Amino acid sequence: MVSNQVILGALLVVNIALYIPLILAVVRRRRRKVNASNLADAFTGLEQALKEAVPDLPAGFTWEEAVARLKSSGVKTKGMEDALKSYEEYRYGGEPMPDVDPREVVKVANMLGGISAGRSGGSSLGR
Amino acid sequence: MGAEVRDKVVKEIGKVVVGREREVDLLLMCLLARGHVLLEGVPGVSKTLIANAFSKCLGLQFKRVQFTPDILPLDIIGGFVFNLKNREFEFRRGPVFTNILLADEINRAPPKVQSALLESMQELQVTVEGHTEKLPFPFMVIATQNPLEFEGVYPLPEGQLDRFMVKVSFRYPSREVESDILKRNLTSIDVNDVETVLSLDQLDALVKQVNKVKVSDEVLAYLARVAEATRTEGALVLGASPRAMVQLVHCSRARALLDGRNYVTPADIKSIANDVLTHRLTIDRAAALKGVSRNPEAILTAILDRVEPPR
Repeated sequence: MVSNQVILGALLVVNIALYIPLILAVVRRRRRKVNASNLADAFTGLEQALKEAVPDLPAGFTWEEAVARLKSSGVKTKGMEDALKSYEEYRYGGEPMPDVDPREVVKVANMLGGISAGRSGGSSLGR
Repeated sequence: MGAEVRDKVVKEIGKVVVGREREVDLLLMCLLARGHVLLEGVPGVSKTLIANAFSKCLGLQFKRVQFTPDILPLDIIGGFVFNLKNREFEFRRGPVFTNILLADEINRAPPKVQSALLESMQELQVTVEGHTEKLPFPFMVIATQNPLEFEGVYPLPEGQLDRFMVKVSFRYPSREVESDILKRNLTSIDVNDVETVLSLDQLDALVKQVNKVKVSDEVLAYLARVAEATRTEGALVLGASPRAMVQLVHCSRARALLDGRNYVTPADIKSIANDVLTHRLTIDRAAALKGVSRNPEAILTAILDRVEPPR
C-alpha cells in the first residue's frame, strides 16, 4: 500500500511541473508587453514587436507598408493610424511631440507580442 | 489644397482617358516638381491623348512635335531666318516655346536632335548662335518613346535620360478597363470635354508650396543610403546619379503636397523611387548573363527592401 503522504508528494511534484512553465510563460509575456508614456516610445515598441512578429517583413519597411500588412491580417488599425498621422508630423515634419494617447499603438504592439509569444519561432502574421 | 487639385485633375482627365489615374498623378507630381516626363509604351495606349488632356485640364499651352528620322534641331527650338523686309536676321521661335511640349516618339529622331532639347529641359531656356531666350512658365516636356525592340528607334543617351525626372511605363489596360474604353469609344471622345480646373496663379502657388515641404535630415540620410546602395549593387554598372537623387527629393516633396502633407515620409520616397530612378540605372550585362535579375525595377525594389528608413 502506498501511503497518502507519498501520493500527496507525487501530486505536488506533478503540480509544480505543470504550473511552473505556465507561470514562466505569463511572466515572459508580461515582460514583452510594451509600456509607453508617449507616442515615440509606443511606435518604437511597435517597431520591435513588428520585427519579431513578422520576420518576413523586409528591413526597409515603412509604416504605410506595416499598416497594410496588419490590415491584411485582420488587425484593427484605425486608432493606430490616427496616432501614426500625429507621430509622422512630429517625426518627419519637425512638429512638437503631440499629446496623443499612445494606448491604441501599445494595444497593437502588445497584440503582436502576444501572437509572437504564442508560437514557437515561426512567422505570426501572414501576408 | 494639393490633394484637392489632384482629385480634380484626375477626375477631369478621366472624362477622356480611362484607367490611367496613377499616370495622371505622376504627370501632375512632375509638373509641380518642375521636371519632365518620359512616357514609354506601345502605340495606341493613350500616351498622346493623356498629354493633351493634361494641358487642357491645367489651361496650359500645348504643342506637339512628331519626331522623325529627318527632323532637325531647328524644327524644335527655332532659329534665325532672314527677313526680306528689313533685311535682317530675326529669331523665329520653335514649338519648344510653349508650356507643355509633347515630343512624340522622341527615340525616332537621331541623338543630335534629341540633344537639342537638353538645354531647354535643364536650363529652361534656348540658345541659338549666342541669342538666349527664356521659356515660358511652366515648361514641361512630355516625351513618348516606343520600346527599343521596335524598328527604327534610337536609344536615348544616358545624359538625355537623366534629364527626365520620371519615366512612366504605359502597359496594356486590364480587361475591365479595356471594356470601358471600347464602350466609351462608341460615342466620340473629345478633349474639349476636359475643363480647366486650375489657373496659372494657382499652379504657381502650388509650385512654390512644393519648395516649402519639409524634408528631415534623417530622411535625407536615408536617401543618401539608397543612392549608395544603387552604386555598390553588383547587378548595376551605373547607379543613381546625384542629379537623380535631387530629382527624387523634389518629386517626394510634390508627392507629399499632393497627399495633403507638408513633410516627406520614407513612404513617399518608396512609392515613386521606381518611377524616378529605374530609367537611369544601367544593368551589368555580365551579371545578367550569370542569372542576376535583368529588371532594374526588381533590383531597385530589392535595394529599397534592404535599406532601413527612419521610423
